[in-house]
Amino acid sequence: MTKDGLEIRAVTKTFEGLTALSDVTFSLEDGKIMGIIGPNGAGKTTLFNVISGFLRADQGQMVYHGKDISSLKPHQVVDLGMARTFQIVRPFKSMSVFENTIVAALSPRSRRSRPKGVKSDETAMNVLGRVALDHKRDEPVSNLPMGDLRRLEIARALATYPQFILLDEPFSGLSLKEMDALAGLIRNLLDEKCTILIIEHKLKILMSLAPRILVLDYGKVLADGTPAEIADNESVIRAYLGRRGHAGVDTTN
Amino acid sequence: MVALEILIYGAVLSGIYALLAVGFALIFGVARVINLTHGAFYMLGAYITYALSVLLNVPLILSIIGGMAIVFLLAICLDRFIIERIRTTMINVLITTLALSLFADQVILQIFGPDNRNIPAVISDRVTLLGVDIAGQRLLSLIISVAVIATLWLIITRTRMGNALLATAQDPEAAQLMGINTGRMFMITMGIAAMMAALAGGIVGSFLTVAPEMGMLPIIKAFSIVILGGLGSIGGSIIAALLIGYLETIVAYLISFNATELVPLVVIFITLIFRPAGIFGKRRGF
Repeated sequence: MTKDGLEIRAVTKTFEGLTALSDVTFSLEDGKIMGIIGPNGAGKTTLFNVISGFLRADQGQMVYHGKDISSLKPHQVVDLGMARTFQIVRPFKSMSVFENTIVAALSPRSRRSRPKGVKSDETAMNVLGRVALDHKRDEPVSNLPMGDLRRLEIARALATYPQFILLDEPFSGLSLKEMDALAGLIRNLLDEKCTILIIEHKLKILMSLAPRILVLDYGKVLADGTPAEIADNESVIRAYLGRRGHAGVDTTN
Repeated sequence: MVALEILIYGAVLSGIYALLAVGFALIFGVARVINLTHGAFYMLGAYITYALSVLLNVPLILSIIGGMAIVFLLAICLDRFIIERIRTTMINVLITTLALSLFADQVILQIFGPDNRNIPAVISDRVTLLGVDIAGQRLLSLIISVAVIATLWLIITRTRMGNALLATAQDPEAAQLMGINTGRMFMITMGIAAMMAALAGGIVGSFLTVAPEMGMLPIIKAFSIVILGGLGSIGGSIIAALLIGYLETIVAYLISFNATELVPLVVIFITLIFRPAGIFGKRRGF
């Protein structure tokens, strides 16, 4: 067992007889990024829910930095330095952009991890600056367009001082310009030794970011390799092409 | 003269109702739990204060604080060991808390019997305010209600815990991702609300009846106030408490004291028919 990174071993999760995850095994070293793709219903978001503590795996083990996280609650996972964004954004609706972010900046991990003397509101403004939302700090979130809401989701995750981030389709609903900015932010995070697990349907941008991709289908790991290996993999081609045809894979961006 | 009496007595009544209803609204707002043991907390607060002060000769103020502390612990146990397991099913919560509330009534009935009790007043003198003669204890209960609710408001809007409570109230799952232990927030909310109910029970014991079934009417009143104010809205429940408190006082003065208990029921009907979300509610509670 390695003390570094995340190890997922034989994780299985069923919902009333339906297998959402079946014997999923992979590991990810610190500071690396891995993409996760797969047809709808392949279990990608379920995998995130299990890792982040919202669902309990039926079988298997998950180890992060040598610590078993299989039975932790979401706030405990956050406290270990793993943050996560939702596929469908979930801001605190009656709060402003700044108020949303300060909730995360007040978390025990954030207060413990940041440099001494830095206040919670400074942390909140700092992460809002990183996602270029600082000029909208006092806007109620109900006024924000989708691109801003996605960035707010990421700002809140960053405010908890994560070393590991799970991003669930962060590029969906973004304009080309916004996608470039987000890709830049993700590269910055990698430079800072942050580990990233990212679910994304937009293959072109995913492949430009992630040197390694995990393919899920019917809850099983279908393939795990470089983008080139994935693109040549027979069973991956069958899973995508056989079921949905070329149009199913969004390579436009 | 009657107008001034209504003004002052209405304020006293509204203050006590607000003390009960704000806690009830807080539990619903944060944990989405309709807690029917809230009236039992009020009743237990009164009986524990009675037992400590009258039977054991503990100083009155300490007795009230003792009642609040014991009820706080009971509420935390209730949340931790029972509600935590059934939180997601509203009907289970309703039936369980109703059963527990009846159970508490029976326990108190067995221990203390059906007779009405009286708790001595912290202030036994009468005072004259704006020409209206009023028991000092009633005035004290108004002052305490205002002070406690104002403190709660400051905690919610100004402190780190308040921030976590507001986030939990809006989206418990997103709140957990911000590192908030939502289970603990639910428990703290239940404890604070129960303590406020116990305080109300302890201070009204000198001018209202202390009896095993005393929690039943207040729970209906808290319910009607919270429906009128908008389920979960704390500001709404304060204003609704004022409306119902004054409405009852006006009915008592101008019609008959016996008709006052009808006021909250009529308010529930009218609100649910014409404005189901309440004055400040954003959506229907049911």
